[in-house]
Amino acid sequence: MAEDNRVIMHEKDLGKVKSNAKVGGIIGKILVYVFLIVMALIILFPFYWMIISSLKTLEEYRMSVPTFWPKVVMFSNYSEAFTVGSLGRLFLNTVFVGVVSTILSLIITVISAFAFARLEFKGKNILFAGLLATMMIPGELFTITNYGTVMGLGWKDTYIVLIVPFLVSVFYIYLLRQNFMQIPNELYLAAKVDGTSDLKYLWKVMIPLAMPTLISITILKMTGAWNSYIWPRLVANDAAHRLITNGLRNAFTETTGDVNYPVQMAAVALVSAPLFIVFIFLRKYIMKGVSRSGIKG
Amino acid sequence: MKRRILALIMAVSMLAVFALLPSCSSSGKKSKVLFEVPAEGYDGSDVNIVFYHTMGQNLSSVLDAYIEEFNKLYPKIHVTWTQVGGYDDVRDQISTEISVGGQPNIAYCYPDHVALYNLAGAVAAIDNLIDSTITVKRADDTTEVLGLTTEQKNDFIEGFYNEGKQFGDGLMYTLPFSKSTEVLYYNKTFFDENNLKVPTTWDELEQVCARIKEIDPESIPLGYDSEANWFITMTEQLGSDYTSASGDHYLFNNETNREFVKQFRSWYQKGYVTTQNIYGAYTSGLFKAESGTRSYMSIGSSAGATHQRPDADENGNYMFDVGIAPIPQKNANNRKVISQGPSVCIFNKTNPQEVVASWLFVKFLTTSVEFQAEFSTASGYVPVLKSVANNPVYSAFVSRANGGAYISALSAKVCLEQEDAYYTSPAFNGSSKAREQVGALLVKCLTGDDGGNVDAFIKKAFEDAINECEY
Amino acid sequence: MVDSKNSWKAWIYLSPAIILLLIFTVWPIVNTLRMAFLEDYSGLSEAGGAVFNFGIGNFVKVIQYQRFLDCLKTTSLLCVITVPVSTVLALIISVALNSIKGLQKVLQTIFFLPYVTNSIAIGMVFAAMFNIVGSFLGTENELIATAGIINNVIEFFGGQHVNWINVGSTYASNIFVMVVYIVWNALPFKILILLGGLQSINKQYYDAAKVDGTSKFRVLTRITVPLLSPMLAYVVITGFIGGFKEYTSIVGIFGENMGPADANGRLNTMVGFIYDSLSQNRQGRASAAALILFGIILVVTLINLRVSKKRVHY
Repeated sequence: MAEDNRVIMHEKDLGKVKSNAKVGGIIGKILVYVFLIVMALIILFPFYWMIISSLKTLEEYRMSVPTFWPKVVMFSNYSEAFTVGSLGRLFLNTVFVGVVSTILSLIITVISAFAFARLEFKGKNILFAGLLATMMIPGELFTITNYGTVMGLGWKDTYIVLIVPFLVSVFYIYLLRQNFMQIPNELYLAAKVDGTSDLKYLWKVMIPLAMPTLISITILKMTGAWNSYIWPRLVANDAAHRLITNGLRNAFTETTGDVNYPVQMAAVALVSAPLFIVFIFLRKYIMKGVSRSGIKG
Repeated sequence: MKRRILALIMAVSMLAVFALLPSCSSSGKKSKVLFEVPAEGYDGSDVNIVFYHTMGQNLSSVLDAYIEEFNKLYPKIHVTWTQVGGYDDVRDQISTEISVGGQPNIAYCYPDHVALYNLAGAVAAIDNLIDSTITVKRADDTTEVLGLTTEQKNDFIEGFYNEGKQFGDGLMYTLPFSKSTEVLYYNKTFFDENNLKVPTTWDELEQVCARIKEIDPESIPLGYDSEANWFITMTEQLGSDYTSASGDHYLFNNETNREFVKQFRSWYQKGYVTTQNIYGAYTSGLFKAESGTRSYMSIGSSAGATHQRPDADENGNYMFDVGIAPIPQKNANNRKVISQGPSVCIFNKTNPQEVVASWLFVKFLTTSVEFQAEFSTASGYVPVLKSVANNPVYSAFVSRANGGAYISALSAKVCLEQEDAYYTSPAFNGSSKAREQVGALLVKCLTGDDGGNVDAFIKKAFEDAINECEY
Repeated sequence: MVDSKNSWKAWIYLSPAIILLLIFTVWPIVNTLRMAFLEDYSGLSEAGGAVFNFGIGNFVKVIQYQRFLDCLKTTSLLCVITVPVSTVLALIISVALNSIKGLQKVLQTIFFLPYVTNSIAIGMVFAAMFNIVGSFLGTENELIATAGIINNVIEFFGGQHVNWINVGSTYASNIFVMVVYIVWNALPFKILILLGGLQSINKQYYDAAKVDGTSKFRVLTRITVPLLSPMLAYVVITGFIGGFKEYTSIVGIFGENMGPADANGRLNTMVGFIYDSLSQNRQGRASAAALILFGIILVVTLINLRVSKKRVHY
């Protein structure tokens, strides 16, 4: 078994290494912080840009020499975004679609990844390879065919059409399968001997162990609902089902056809705020890690 | 694993072959493009009409008001609209919807969109509707002729109206909805101080540029926003070939065109001119600049007048006064300036009443002086009817024209004076590609390294552009 | 190793995914194949009643495109550079983030922020950072309104400003900007995945290493990387798949021009080519290009899988 070999290998390696000096540790710490802070600033820059853009006038935004701080701080962009965009309904639609599709997608992803990681069946490898292959064709080509399909099913202007077609993501199944594969098979076999059902094992052992990955998937899927644009516009662009990105792109077009970006940015910042709060909340779970006492991994 | 993937691909290919079979046997069912008007005209039945556009909120509220007016005449025609996004979004959405027959009834369109929809024969040619003499009864007990009267037809600005017939088959597919064009913005304060004459021809423009360079060597006298418009407008002014809707599409590689491009190259090298893509930002930014490098003339969209106006100080005074003039011409007897902005097209439907009802609505909007006046005032676009100029609301708007607070009115005023000069280019599937290519071609020829032989360099660039288009 | 009598169970677990994939992924792929083998297929023309011949003309046409090889070159170049760079960088950031105590929460939050940053804003930032606003670049008339933040920094340290993306810029500098942008874009996702993976590693290994006084670097190469290898394999393989489909990032920097204004199309990629064909409703050509792209990605992924089979420890 691969795991046994690995453990032996590590023990051998660990034994060879000598302790290092404390001074080096402190310098190392400082370097780590400097590196992280620099990277954080670089990562942060677009966010900063989004915020200052949302506070500029359209005139200032169009200037050829960009300013790093608005000359006139336009908080009114936010109130305009709130009134013009009729954000309330858009927001509720998006939350509904986001939450429902995330939950359903998680269920499908978990049971599929479980089947690929733990169960043996004929054609497993070929099926998995087939799934991977589907990721390799640019999705833009699917749009027209899928549009025909959902129209044939009579799904135009429904929540179903916003949720169902993208429930299965090979990306997520693959990700979770990788995670599940790391959990030792012995645990599963032991559970089988004890007469634990698959689902119970999945629920009690595998899901808790894979929690950080599941949270990552949740974040990605929720963000997807927030950012999806082309498909929702095509299939459900009526007032009752319109999602946030479509609403935002539509609401702030100037008479000349130019988009009023500052107000749009303000609207984006507004609707992103709840998403951001959810992320901060979820972050705790990712970073809490998994207590794995009693599990040899 | 590798062999298995290959096996899988084989399996999928087999499936594909099965999928192919029915499609090969599909019979030709080319829908009739030219709409046949039903004998009774509009029969008064309940019809739902969907209109796709890109209007922002202030404009769609104008539209709403006129839908209400329209429903006083035709209460059973129910018009709903969807704001789809930008022009390209409308195009992409509709070309997908056509494949399953889900297209709207009416849509904002540019000529190349219509050429695309025409691949499926989806757009109704409206010639028979225009010519129809059937009388239609309205809810207020008045009647109207279904077609356009001679006065109505003649009231359209010719250049705008003719856009509907640019598709190479002589049929009329669109009506103009609201239009814009290009105008020359100039720094009036600077021109007055230095006794400069506003150029009306390209030769005069060159002289003015030379003068400005002497006065302010740090300046770039002219900024032209759209390279593609510049190229295409020059071919129109010179009467040289650009594209054709039928036969050989791409005709722009000719001596005359290479000649004017070469001339502009020399202007660029003297530092007279820059464009949006060369400058790396809107040239209006250069025009409005308060210090450093600036321009004193800017050619851009007539609908973007407010973007060309400098910032106001605390007292509401603008840093300089903006003047607006028609763009320079090659020949005063053959004035040409581009016509841009949306038209509307009507889609074929199985129920002819939907087409007739759509026509009635389109006709109501495009021939209503009040609507055109109100819409143009709100949008800064040019009205498509000549008589709008006499409309009290619109003439009051235009009479306020100045280079500061009422700059949009000034732009509108200039546009009214050049209504005989509008042109549109032939439209076919690929006409937008030609537009892209000539724009890039001009940038390349202005800025590129000629390797010592200008003519060969320009010739090569033209050939490359043609190859890209024809691919 | 596990009893295979229960294979029906696996199929039940997989059935929701399989059914949905059949409808919304496999069927479109079959349709793609169909369109690819119909000469000059156009969905709109078909709706108008046109009939198309079966043949490989679309493939021939794609390969004959004068810039086909350029598209391929740019696509591969971006992929080969950005995937390793972003993966290594994301790994270092994740490990560093996982190892600190103070400021941990703040920094983690910051690394999550890109998820709530609008993509338009991200594109704008880059335009502003690398874009030189000015004219007559590289000539004696050169006039510059602003050279961009990156050039400002270079000039601050005494260097010469570089023409990154404007008229007259070189292919190499264009590619450099694209690499920076793509890596930047890819980082948050990779950090998220790797951080999640790190949290699933049993702390006992590190405790053991601590007791033994193993050096940090050795812990990284001998414990962290092997244990993280499934996630690293995932990030690399999906990175390559995504990299070969690069398109929107180039539009973000260069616009629909897909290159500097004087060299339009120079940075065009395979997917850019597909978009171009789709915009003229030439789905046949687009599908053929997509299948060629599929073939390339397939080969690369097979190589990746083969390598990872040897290196990944589950």
